[in-house]
Amino acid sequence: MNGAQHILEAFHRHNIHTVFGYPGGCIMPLYDALVDDVGVEHVLCRHEQACALAADGYARASGEIGVCIATSGPGATNLITGVANAYMDSIPMLVITGQVPSGLIGTDAFQETDILGMTLGIVKHSYLVDDAEALPAIMEEAINLAQSGRPGPVWIDIPKDIQLTEIEAPAAATCAQPDPLCPEISDALAMLYSAKRPLLYSGGGVSLGRAEDSFREFANTSALPDVVTLKGIGNPGKNNPHSLGMLGMHGSRAANKAVDECDLLLVIGARLDDRATGKLDGFAPNARMIHIDADAAEINKLRPADLALRGDLNRILPAFTEALKEKPLAIAHWQKQCRTWHTTSGFQAADNEEALAPITGPAFIRQLSRITPDDTVIACDVGQHQMWVAQHYEFDHPRHHLTSGGLGTMGFGLPAAIGAQFANRRGTVINVTGDGSFMMNAQELATIRRYNLPLKLIILDNQCLGMVRQQQELFYNNRESHINLDDNPDFVAMARAFDIPALHIERTDQIRRGIETILAYDGPMLLHVAISREENVWPIVKPGASNREMIDENRRTSTSKEHVA
Amino acid sequence: MSAQAQTALPSYTLNCRMNQEAAALERLCQVVRVRGFQISRMSMESADDYLDIALTLSGSRPIAMLRSQLEKLHTVVDVGLQEQAASARAVSA
Repeated sequence: MNGAQHILEAFHRHNIHTVFGYPGGCIMPLYDALVDDVGVEHVLCRHEQACALAADGYARASGEIGVCIATSGPGATNLITGVANAYMDSIPMLVITGQVPSGLIGTDAFQETDILGMTLGIVKHSYLVDDAEALPAIMEEAINLAQSGRPGPVWIDIPKDIQLTEIEAPAAATCAQPDPLCPEISDALAMLYSAKRPLLYSGGGVSLGRAEDSFREFANTSALPDVVTLKGIGNPGKNNPHSLGMLGMHGSRAANKAVDECDLLLVIGARLDDRATGKLDGFAPNARMIHIDADAAEINKLRPADLALRGDLNRILPAFTEALKEKPLAIAHWQKQCRTWHTTSGFQAADNEEALAPITGPAFIRQLSRITPDDTVIACDVGQHQMWVAQHYEFDHPRHHLTSGGLGTMGFGLPAAIGAQFANRRGTVINVTGDGSFMMNAQELATIRRYNLPLKLIILDNQCLGMVRQQQELFYNNRESHINLDDNPDFVAMARAFDIPALHIERTDQIRRGIETILAYDGPMLLHVAISREENVWPIVKPGASNREMIDENRRTSTSKEHVA
Repeated sequence: MSAQAQTALPSYTLNCRMNQEAAALERLCQVVRVRGFQISRMSMESADDYLDIALTLSGSRPIAMLRSQLEKLHTVVDVGLQEQAASARAVSA
């Protein structure tokens, strides 16, 4: 068995059956081995960046490791944005690249790049294989490392000669997963019981730790008012009466007010990202903080925790839940206050009753949320549409909302949707994108067609880079700079060129029929939605400002103090 | 060039043991830089399968933050904080 065959053998051992890749010179031995392997489905994307982002989307939707493959040089460098995206959002990913033959490394050979050196800052770990006999053990370690603890991308750079070398070493034994810490929670419970205004703050760590059920039970049992980060959307479920939605720069006033007023913040699987906290000095100023996370390096990184618990959420949260079943929290007044805030200051977007009125982003997303099945996966791109989805689509599970939270990668949505569709071939998967983002990986329409994926594409087209335009309007004296996209192609014709049917709508009375048409179609379909260029995402916090300083549609800056009962 | 105010930053010495792997030192130095610290002295010894590295560095952020970030590196076996001087680096025009 040569090195390339050992790679595939490791895939089989770890139940990796779908990989995303693009062949080239120095990875050809692996592609040659794939010819004889029927157990691994290789998905050919049309750009290496899309391979990495599709692997990312596959991992987010399935909870399994995503795998992408590329050749050396430009193939490897094209992966970088996708891998950085996975790193920022802690997505388990295995990246395999070919490298020039060992003897040519360091000679500036054709398609040689020092990809190991280039990517040190965006991987959980990486390897340059310099000994063929070590390859089986490296594969084993890498696959486990990518998924253990705080997940992340692990990159293996494999010289072409190593892929061809016959290897005597047996397949490595499966590594034991590290035993998580078993924390003492009695102190945390004491803090929780003594708090008058405790607030639950959860992030992407819940689903990354596969702790969705444990979290849901804890949230329901505790009945704590809760806020979520962008990546935590869906954690509490769509029917939790205590949920206040997303906090932060484009969070609801209700969520930001609750953070501002709480006296205890219970942070679960969140890293206190600046888009969520705003200016740290003004974040939860009256609160003590309990921080629960799998990654010790997140504890005390940005704000000191009064109490920290590091470990597996599936061990920690049930202990909380059991204690709270015995002795519930007495926070009725605080719960009522938060519900009032949610009613008066939650995300609101009135449906436009005027049939011929132009479509607004929020109204469209609300309709989409009502019409689509509960288990629909929405893969967003980055920009205004991303925030409208976060604000107005009601997600029942965090794995149904795929969004580039940390890196904010325009072009993420389409390949991520492809990955999600491979994770669930029969499920409803929708890429909600903007006209700017769509063009960043539009070549992947060919991938959709090739595999006849039934995914649906919705372009909210405002003919500009809307989020940049909005910030230029609000924070740069309305001096628009290079945001105009009014020379976009005809997206309907473009989809049809890839043999994907498409539909255009522009009026409010066309929304329902447009959505129902693409959902009913047995195959891929694109819905092009014309929206106003001038529409903004509200509310907004100026970057670097405190979340108290939210700006609303009337350009009115108000603090949460005004609304405190 | 106008004179700048004297800036004194806390100084620390970290002892790191790392596995001998490709780019081990680069990973270490990159984390130090990205997390906002500057290396003023560095020594390294190779022993069996390990690299023992002593770093004298300064920075305004908490050293515990850097230490926990270094401990996350898969190649790092151990990180020890040796001592803390009152201040070390002075920057002037």
